[in-house]
Amino acid sequence: MTDPLVEMRGVRKQFVTRHVLALDEETRKRRFYKRNLVDAAMDVSFAIQPGEIFGLLGPNGAGKTTTVKMISGLVKPDAGQVFVAGMDVERKRKQILRQVGVVLEGTRTSLWPLTPLENLMYYGNLKNVRGAVLHDRAHDLLDFIGLQDKKNIQVRRLSRGQKQKLAICIALIADPRVLLLDEPTTGLDVQSSRAIKDRIIEMTHGQGRAVLVTTHDMHVAQELCDRVGIINKGRLVACKPMSELLELFSEHVFVFKLDAPAGTGPLRGLPGVLSAEEEAAGGENSLVVSLATDEAERSAGFYAVMRALEGMGRRVLAVQQRQQNLESVFLRITGQPLDADGDAGPEDPEQE
Amino acid sequence: MGFFLVMKAELVRVFIVMRRYWFRTITGMIIGYGMLMVLVAGFIYSRPQVEQGLSKFSDPAAATNFVLGFIIGMYAFSVVGMFTQGLQGMATSGVLEQLCMSPHGLITNFLAQVLVASVSTIISSGIMVYLVSFSVGGSLHWDTLPVMVLLALTFFNLLGFGFMVGGLVLVFKQVGQVAILIRMGLFGLAVFAREELLQQPWPVRLSMHVLPVTDAAICLKHVLIKGQLNAAGEHASVFQHQSFYWLLVSCVAWTAIGMSVFKVMENWSRSKGTLGSY
Repeated sequence: MTDPLVEMRGVRKQFVTRHVLALDEETRKRRFYKRNLVDAAMDVSFAIQPGEIFGLLGPNGAGKTTTVKMISGLVKPDAGQVFVAGMDVERKRKQILRQVGVVLEGTRTSLWPLTPLENLMYYGNLKNVRGAVLHDRAHDLLDFIGLQDKKNIQVRRLSRGQKQKLAICIALIADPRVLLLDEPTTGLDVQSSRAIKDRIIEMTHGQGRAVLVTTHDMHVAQELCDRVGIINKGRLVACKPMSELLELFSEHVFVFKLDAPAGTGPLRGLPGVLSAEEEAAGGENSLVVSLATDEAERSAGFYAVMRALEGMGRRVLAVQQRQQNLESVFLRITGQPLDADGDAGPEDPEQE
Repeated sequence: MGFFLVMKAELVRVFIVMRRYWFRTITGMIIGYGMLMVLVAGFIYSRPQVEQGLSKFSDPAAATNFVLGFIIGMYAFSVVGMFTQGLQGMATSGVLEQLCMSPHGLITNFLAQVLVASVSTIISSGIMVYLVSFSVGGSLHWDTLPVMVLLALTFFNLLGFGFMVGGLVLVFKQVGQVAILIRMGLFGLAVFAREELLQQPWPVRLSMHVLPVTDAAICLKHVLIKGQLNAAGEHASVFQHQSFYWLLVSCVAWTAIGMSVFKVMENWSRSKGTLGSY
């Protein structure tokens, strides 16, 4: 196994939030000044290998953006260490910034009075890229992301999706080995979102970069990521390859498509069968059967169902295993839906 | 090397924006000229006693003194403003976060930005001073070496002060509003700064010297308006003027204090998680 390009070891970060004229929940009295401590990262540890897309999944305020900012050196951890390409971010911040490209959520990033090409030249100089290398790379990136025909149009005239593509180009202008993308597809239409996801996959697997994608969108994580970390209230509660994560929480639900409706009564008592329900959708007769987790019991249950259906005179047209989705996995791990607030976010850290 | 690369990028950016918005650039200068002329007329000539004002009309140096002070004040206003309102604007738009992640460091980026902006301010202000002076019948005594040295010292003086205020803005966001008052104060001081101010009791005198614009304005006026002549009409080099020594001291002090405060505040802001955001 190669050395990871990004590694977090036992990182902790706590933020202070201050509220003026806040309601005290204990006394129910309004206090002039209230100070709260919020855990944005609690012993967070993970590593990202070259050529891997790692997804950090969590609700709003779970600590995703803080994690990205700690890797890029914008936020200093209270404890623990962050390494990029084997270098400690705290000690070699400037060297590390040459290796990292970041797209933060909800910010403009690009200079709107300039064109995409001018933006790339500007940020290239800021990131120590110059001359013919900068010129060629800027054009290559615009080609790659699909903005070549917009290269001489002022950024303020571009669509939101095109601006986001440009932000990714800006992050890539110094040819970084690590790319950090904070909610890269939020607010984009399906087409733009698809195009950006395709480019991310291409640049990671094809060019050996390590990519960290934060998202609260299950579909983005499922389509993009090789490995997923689920973060909730600052804690990394799960960190596994996508397939393993889905498999771990798989309920082994099978859908039997039949030629005619069948009752579920005879199936319920069969060994290895946990539940059975009829499902009629789109003119099809389907039977949804949940089987045991144990492999031997599951196998026995599956064949028992087939025999029972045969006994009822039903013909099985097709059998599909219903895929588990990340949303239900998240729900089972954290006990709350993904669209709930994580209540740990440093979105509004101390303002003095 | 990194500094020059950032400065080149800034120069190109400013030039592109000026060229792209050329109409706004030119009209801005015309409006600036018109406003200055109105201010000159209003400030110097529209006194209750019109006769008294009219008698001053024969002294173009009074108008030139005001215009030059006004321009130096505007310069101080804009340099410090880049570290306050400018910084807040960049933070709001997200550009500041990109600068924070530049391997050159935030100080280098700001230094280059302010230097480029200052050069363009000096050029446009210079044109304005000449135009207004010419319009009111005054003249300026141009002496390249002293003027360049004084402008450079003034720049670093204001830069140090700006870095200090900017550093505070990185952590204490409300300082930005207080800084508007400070900028107004600097502006007023540049307009009214003259050698007579240094005849005040020592606490007032000391505070005048500590403020980054007083000695710079006095020295520049000594060269450009008085032509480096003393009251007796003899040549008195600005390099031997007591304000010049104060300017040197405050320049070194403000630059050191400003950079140090900015660095400390940048680190503090990173610990608090507010770096680059507003």
